[in-house]
Amino acid sequence: MALLAVGLAVLAWPSTIFGAFAIAAGGMIAAAECWRSGPATWGIMPAGSTARLILCIASGVLALWVASAVTTGTGAPLRFAVLVVLGLMAARILMSREAPVVLAGIASLALVLAAAPGLAPASPGPIPALVGGLIAAGVMFVSRARPAEKVGT
Amino acid sequence: MEPELLLAATASLGLAVVFAPPRVPRANLLTWGLLGLAGMAAMVLAPSLDLVLLILLLLAVLQARLASHRDFALRLRAPVLAVGLLALGLAFERMQGPVAMERFGAVGIVAGLVAVVGLLPYVHEFDPDESVVASPIVWIAFVGPLLAATVISQARQVIPADAGDAFGALLIGLGVLNMFWGSVGSWRTAGDAAAWRYSFMADWGLALCGFGLGIADGQAAALIVLFSIVLGRLPLYLWSRQALREKVPTDRPLNLVVAALLAGSAPFAGFPARVLLLRGATQLYWPLALVLAAAMLLWLPASLRLGRSMGIPRGRQAVGVAIVLGLNVLLGLYPQPLLTLAGL
Repeated sequence: MALLAVGLAVLAWPSTIFGAFAIAAGGMIAAAECWRSGPATWGIMPAGSTARLILCIASGVLALWVASAVTTGTGAPLRFAVLVVLGLMAARILMSREAPVVLAGIASLALVLAAAPGLAPASPGPIPALVGGLIAAGVMFVSRARPAEKVGT
Repeated sequence: MEPELLLAATASLGLAVVFAPPRVPRANLLTWGLLGLAGMAAMVLAPSLDLVLLILLLLAVLQARLASHRDFALRLRAPVLAVGLLALGLAFERMQGPVAMERFGAVGIVAGLVAVVGLLPYVHEFDPDESVVASPIVWIAFVGPLLAATVISQARQVIPADAGDAFGALLIGLGVLNMFWGSVGSWRTAGDAAAWRYSFMADWGLALCGFGLGIADGQAAALIVLFSIVLGRLPLYLWSRQALREKVPTDRPLNLVVAALLAGSAPFAGFPARVLLLRGATQLYWPLALVLAAAMLLWLPASLRLGRSMGIPRGRQAVGVAIVLGLNVLLGLYPQPLLTLAGL
């Protein structure tokens, strides 16, 4: 998460400096909370990882195609980062049932949505980056907040 | 179109809170409804689709925190999938690549839109016993209409003309699919609560077709259909929940009138929407009008079933049903002020 935040902040830097700071700050807060709230076990390739392994290979092939098709011209790093992070994080969220993992994925999605307006020809200004950073930072505290509220209707 | 839908959602929340059955906790309903309205207002004000997606993500997380039989991660899947697809579609549209990219972008945006609302082929998991605010009904009937109008109007600004036809064709195709699936499902499914959910899908099919036509008549039809979902079908569903639990079908004249409203017959709001849709389809490609007309006939048996499931509204609910019927008659007889307000 920290690496993702720094990377996206660097990519957002040319279009909006304030936005880059917002993305970095939001991502760092989310990363710190992620560090504290996640399971304290080694999570890489545990039992039952076959589906993830297949997903990695499939996404690698897709990434190769995308790379050959869209990573030319100016702004290629941001385009590539947006596509890869969106695809992988959405897949991670869809495959997981653990709240901390899902929330970390959502924080990452918020960060990439904050940086994605940089793909548009016109400058988006710092607002998307600010909102994305705030959501990324805030979402990680959801699991620590009080238990889910009961609502009837 | 979006401010008008926000107004309709506000009125719908007001009706739901004021005329709620005695056992419903009004304070909670009002709190979460106002939170949803705040998110929807932010969507209307958002200058770009990226901001709309961020607001959608936030609303999804807040809704997933509410107590439910379904777990947190499971309830987040559909909205997150929708945000991912919409964001991918938007990213493809912004890339300077081959034309195929733009078409992929259009597919992503339409798929994301359908996923967030909960239509075929991304139907949300539905539990009839779940509270309405925590259930997928929020997406299909309360937040969804305004969100769809916002996404479609913003998407048309970023989708180039080459991919615009594909965008419209996808909307029409999925619209027809949902019309048939929703109306047949609403007629034939075993549970009455599930029948109500399918009926929302069928109405959404009309709205998607209207948006897909891309001409003024289609847009007008889509707006009226979305209005009738928010200010007609949603409050009636809320007030039918008690009768659904008691499972006592009723055959009073009022049930027949409610069935007529749900079927979109004259003089209710669904009627001008259907006329506009058929006129728009005839202008574009007349065989499409034939398909739409055939699909519209399927509303009748489903609506008669839903009307019977309403039970006999008493007290506050009877007043609420009368207001909803009045609003829908007004919109059915004089839709022009609404269309003028929306600039159509």
